[in-house]
Amino acid sequence: MTFPTTERRRARPRSALIVSAVAAYLITFLVLLPLFWIAVLSFKPNSRILSDPLGAAAFTLDNYLNVFASVPLLSMYGNTLVLALVSVTVGTVISFMSSFALSRMVFRRRRLQSGLRLYLLGGLAIPIYILLFPVYRVDIALGVFGTYAALILPYIAVTIPFNTLLLTGFLRDFPGELEEAAIIDGAGLWRLCWSVVVPLMRPVFATILIFNVIYVFNEYPFASILINNPAMTTVSLAVSQFQGQYSTDYGAMMAASTIILIPQLVIYALFQKQVIAGMTIGAVKG
Amino acid sequence: MIWLSTRWKIAIMVIPTLLFFTLFVVYPVGYSAYYSLTDFIGFGTPAFVGLANYATLFSDPLFWRSLLNTVVVLVISVVVIIPASFALALLMRRPFRGARMLRALVFAPGIIAPILVGLIWVFILDPKIGLVNQLLTHAGVSSPPIWIGGPTLGPVSIALVFIWSTVGFAMTIFYAGLQLLPGDVIEASSLDGATPFQQTWAITVPMMRETFAITAVLVTTNVFKIFELVYQLTGGGPIHKSETLVSYMYYVTFTSQQYGPGMAFAVIITVLGAIVSVGYLALLRERKDVVA
Amino acid sequence: MYNAAHASLWKRRLVGVSVLVTSLALLAGCSTGTGSSGSTTITLSMQQTDVKKGDPTTWAIVQAFEKKYPNIKVTVTGQPVAQHNQAIDVAAQSNTLPTMFWLFSADTGKKLNKAGALLDLNPILKDEGLTSSFNKTVLDSFSDGGKQFGVPYQALLTGFYVNKKILADNGLTQPVTFDDLVAVSKALSAKGITTIANGASQSSFSVWAFLTCLDRFGYDDVIKDILAGKASYSNPDFLKFYEALAELQKAGAFSSNVATQTYNQAVDDFANGKAAFLDSGVWASGQLQSSPVGKDTGFWVGPQFSNGVGEQKIVMNVVGAPLAVSASVKKGSPEYAAVEKFIGFYYGDAGQQIFADNGQPPVTTFAPKIASSNTVFQSVLDAAKGLAVPLAQPDQYLSTASQNVMYDSIYGVIEGQLSPQDAVDMVQKSIAANK
Repeated sequence: MTFPTTERRRARPRSALIVSAVAAYLITFLVLLPLFWIAVLSFKPNSRILSDPLGAAAFTLDNYLNVFASVPLLSMYGNTLVLALVSVTVGTVISFMSSFALSRMVFRRRRLQSGLRLYLLGGLAIPIYILLFPVYRVDIALGVFGTYAALILPYIAVTIPFNTLLLTGFLRDFPGELEEAAIIDGAGLWRLCWSVVVPLMRPVFATILIFNVIYVFNEYPFASILINNPAMTTVSLAVSQFQGQYSTDYGAMMAASTIILIPQLVIYALFQKQVIAGMTIGAVKG
Repeated sequence: MIWLSTRWKIAIMVIPTLLFFTLFVVYPVGYSAYYSLTDFIGFGTPAFVGLANYATLFSDPLFWRSLLNTVVVLVISVVVIIPASFALALLMRRPFRGARMLRALVFAPGIIAPILVGLIWVFILDPKIGLVNQLLTHAGVSSPPIWIGGPTLGPVSIALVFIWSTVGFAMTIFYAGLQLLPGDVIEASSLDGATPFQQTWAITVPMMRETFAITAVLVTTNVFKIFELVYQLTGGGPIHKSETLVSYMYYVTFTSQQYGPGMAFAVIITVLGAIVSVGYLALLRERKDVVA
Repeated sequence: MYNAAHASLWKRRLVGVSVLVTSLALLAGCSTGTGSSGSTTITLSMQQTDVKKGDPTTWAIVQAFEKKYPNIKVTVTGQPVAQHNQAIDVAAQSNTLPTMFWLFSADTGKKLNKAGALLDLNPILKDEGLTSSFNKTVLDSFSDGGKQFGVPYQALLTGFYVNKKILADNGLTQPVTFDDLVAVSKALSAKGITTIANGASQSSFSVWAFLTCLDRFGYDDVIKDILAGKASYSNPDFLKFYEALAELQKAGAFSSNVATQTYNQAVDDFANGKAAFLDSGVWASGQLQSSPVGKDTGFWVGPQFSNGVGEQKIVMNVVGAPLAVSASVKKGSPEYAAVEKFIGFYYGDAGQQIFADNGQPPVTTFAPKIASSNTVFQSVLDAAKGLAVPLAQPDQYLSTASQNVMYDSIYGVIEGQLSPQDAVDMVQKSIAANK
């Protein structure tokens, strides 16, 4: 029995495919219209944006020059990269470990198993503002305030519910025969996970990785409070750079937003490629 | 599997996650619960006031308004997003050129800074200068609807923008789920002469039950968490008429500096959200066990 | 079947990832530190991220100060107002406040002071010889329980900017009384021109000119009684104000999208000649000077009411938010000396001249030199000259929660969402509930 599927080669009429393609392009275009608008506006002088959002006039690169001049994009990206790499790696690994235990392993008490899972999933609905003050306190108590860890630790924790939801959900349907076969072959827990389960869960891992990396890139509430060192600012703070008490530079914000958006889309697309490239057609046939 | 499931091994697998989660997520909720019973003002030492903060909250008509608004947004969002993103995922699976690029692009609305999402949609929905109403007035409509800034349509507009920014996200999850489906059942049905529509409806959808559940839970919990969007789109509406739970909680806690009621609010939101998401999952668990 | 070669490949990958993660984690444990020898560093935390652009006055003062005292370094940080307030609250809880910081209001300052988080600045003011540089009421608003918890950040001079050209083009004269204003509104709205530019979205506090109107209905005389519970905000005089506001709304004075517009958009409307009046303050003078309507812009302190109470010819020229110093700055430490020098510079003649150079009126009794090209700034100062001033802006007396309700009450009527009676009742309810 085949487990994962790749794009099946089917005898589909070409016309149906073209219709699908047109529909997909159209929908995407409509969805993206507001974003195109932001990109277009980013080339307009700031003084004209609010008064004349629809008018076509005055093309300028000033906003972009402004962003590059006033925002240390490179160091921001560097900081965000460190945060993303560490928190997403650790978060994904421990989430997988606990999700695997909570969905595949055999507990002496079934109640405990489902109880723990629901405990972790309860965190899904918690709005982040509730966590602000206490996390600040915990960071200080742990002595990590002012370091990268001050953000990494909360980021790991906050992504656990989402990771757990996806991983337990998809692990549930993992075919037991593959596990049994590997165990009979003498695989221990670690080898079972690494060589059998993980490779077949690639689409889920890719999804989790993308979402969490993008989350870290855009996370604002924690970053705005827990960073008090200008050298450690993250990319998500770049847009708020242009927010004054009484005046806001929307043009620069739009330029900054466009600049930040594009790498994230590239990362997303690259991850998608990994999902398809690594797919194996079935592990055990028969 | 049972041979590998020793207590020791299970503990190692589960403890790191529990540690992080309890320390950084559960403790803060407990912290909020504690302070919700005091007259905390953000700093200093507070005095115990029992359930007074909850009473304040429940007697505030704006609290109930924000709850109602959240429910409206929830219903509209779930009803639209789930079928739409599933259909979109099916569409995007077809092997036409540029599909991967399109999947990435549809996801883009979810990663734009909220302040700009708000601004651009104000340019679209504003009753006076917005694109929609300008087109409507040109087309001869005498008094076009007040999408934002009016007393009634605020939550609908919020739902609209939320749907726009979440469709890509939901589609990605459906896409992952579709990738993991076993292909042989569909192949067999093909040989039996089933049409694509029948295959989708009768085979794919039931097999994707877990994914539907996951997406429904995620959309629901994300609706509960909507904050910046409201603030940027309507500023809370004309005098707080279009606030949602979290945006009004933010106003009470941080803008009005009423931390006591604010923390009570936080606890209420957490409990509501947990009930909805966990409750739904628990229900599904039972039904699935019964069926299987 | 798992593949042995596959497994060893994964093992190598695992080792590689662990090394990477561990080294990154170690890196994460380090923080970037600032170290300098022989110089003192103090931090100043403000209410915008880019202080250089958003608050050129403070930026210029810091630059000039560092030039004068090369051994003192001032690290300027900042975030948007909401984040700044959160950061201060959170820092106050855990004794990690910056050296000096902007505070949202006197009310916030009082609360922090009661919690012991702020330094008493009386000794510093005395040592620097500044106690007589201020008008008496200025320091009083930031004093609590005998301690001076804050010093004035910048002045709050508010009113209406006027586009004289729009009035002239439509055959209208500068209004003086409220009835004049209603007449002007009717005339302009008939032509589709916005009379008063206001924006409620995310900027509910932007009703400065209307807050001043409360003072034309006897606010200063009754507020203490109201706060003590002996009088009510829901009184006939205040009701008259809100009814006037409702009349203005019916005359079409405000833009139909005032609820969804931000203050920024309102300024933008005025700056592009689309509105006749702008509800704002002196901080906008620089921005308006360099806008297309700069040469046509004048200033008006607000309408006089025939059914008002007390002095009608008043201008809102008071102090706004305070600057405060963390209580963790110990007397005798180099930071303390640095803070002393900074405060001395800020309120000295050189510092106050920098205020004027950047379009801000001085907060001391200093009389600055103003460049002749600053016509907008000059017109603001001229309009305010010689008029009586209230003790403070009406919202400053209230707790933060009630301040917000007060703003909502005004915008509610402006947006046509609230009746005048409901508006006053709403504020009274909040005042009674929040002391």
